[in-house]
Amino acid sequence: MSERPVALVTGAAGGLGRAIVAALSEAGWTVAAATHRGSDLAGDLAEPMAPASLVGRVLDRHRRLDLLVPNHAAMTMAAVDEHDPDDWWRIVDTNLSGSFRLARAAVPALRAKAGSIVFISSEWGLIGWPRASAYAASKAGLIGLTKALARELAPTVRVNAVAPGVIDTAQLAVDAADLGVSEAEIRARYAAEAPLGRIADATEIAASVVFLASPGGAYYTGQVLSPNGGTTLVP
Amino acid sequence: MTTSGSGASVEADAPVVLVTGASSGIGRATAIRFGRAGYRVAVNYARDTSAADEVAALVEGRAYRADVADRYAVATMVSAVEAELGPIAVAVCNAGFYEERRLEDVDDSLWDRSLRVMLGGCFHVSRTVVPRMRSRGGGSIVTIASELALIGGVEIAHYVAAKAAILGLTRSLARELAPTIRVNAVAPGAVDTPLLPDRDRGPGYTDTLPLRRIGRADEVADVVFDLAHSAWTTGAVWQIDGGAAIQ
Repeated sequence: MSERPVALVTGAAGGLGRAIVAALSEAGWTVAAATHRGSDLAGDLAEPMAPASLVGRVLDRHRRLDLLVPNHAAMTMAAVDEHDPDDWWRIVDTNLSGSFRLARAAVPALRAKAGSIVFISSEWGLIGWPRASAYAASKAGLIGLTKALARELAPTVRVNAVAPGVIDTAQLAVDAADLGVSEAEIRARYAAEAPLGRIADATEIAASVVFLASPGGAYYTGQVLSPNGGTTLVP
Repeated sequence: MTTSGSGASVEADAPVVLVTGASSGIGRATAIRFGRAGYRVAVNYARDTSAADEVAALVEGRAYRADVADRYAVATMVSAVEAELGPIAVAVCNAGFYEERRLEDVDDSLWDRSLRVMLGGCFHVSRTVVPRMRSRGGGSIVTIASELALIGGVEIAHYVAAKAAILGLTRSLARELAPTIRVNAVAPGAVDTPLLPDRDRGPGYTDTLPLRRIGRADEVADVVFDLAHSAWTTGAVWQIDGGAAIQ
């Protein structure tokens, strides 16, 4: 069994995922970094069997699990009545159902180590966003899941969420393409919406994940941290 | 797929409301509330034909059988409603079910069914009525979420996730469809309907509520009706829960 605590981070090839893996490693965690494809922990987490398979592979390798960070996500943007309904559901099934199935599979191991879960939600899960109804629904659902599992798994396993604002990652290309503007333009627009006048660096979001998982976060459960530059000031 | 009520005293050009899951509980009360206000009411239901027919008769509307988890069935229903009753002015996305189960026992079937019926019911109705409402220059959609979407609950993660997802959908559609179509949510607490566990009817629960009692379906229906007509409200979540989720 690994001496160091073990974290499973999904979506580890993306901008935020890489930053979370790096920050947890820096903080002393052994990190199992799962990706959609191209790694030895690859899988499509929209597939119903994939999350349990992934958790099983991590436990085979490390013999323990202390932290689950379901960070993988799919997003496309379209008007609700123009969004291909199969694609709409693929987004919900990837982001919300995939995260749920990861949690369900990981809970016995997390209980054994009094570990925790940090779901990755989104500012858009809190306040909604036009042409992003599937993504926002999936991310809002994760906030509900956070609160439900925080109550159900207490006092052994803590469950929290991080709901980031706009992050400077390759994902911005989706937003830019949807609005038909350049990535520089979309960066400037989002920056102007934040009281802090800029979008986030992924390391600034990863820091919230590390905090919630760390001893300093030990009295947090069922909470949503919202590093977003002040864009949303909601309960 | 339809059964008819008498329709005798409802004005031919009265506005039309579609209420999903209207054969019992909050949906039934909502159908009655709109019917009392002169609406032509489309009473959607999934299984209980005699209960839906009874509601349809009460409101002089029509019952429409359709599983809202099935987008094709929803599209067929909406076409039938508009052909038979007229253009839908208000859609109330209410269909749902409540079944407590601990996390490890929430199998994929229960999880998927929860998302498809509750979130999917809202999505499938919205994607179908929105282009119709937009072409007519207006409309109002009310989704039924839950107090539990705001504060969580034990052994009910599938339900809470679906109801919380409805809030994300509601807020997104409110932004996307403004100013033409308003989209709002109601978050009811423990209401005296067939879905409510007996545990929540006793003093062990009601004594924890600031207002010391569970709610009545007609009280929720009043809020649904008012929210549907509140012309300067969109993207809102109106709580009606006896004070359970004061925040």
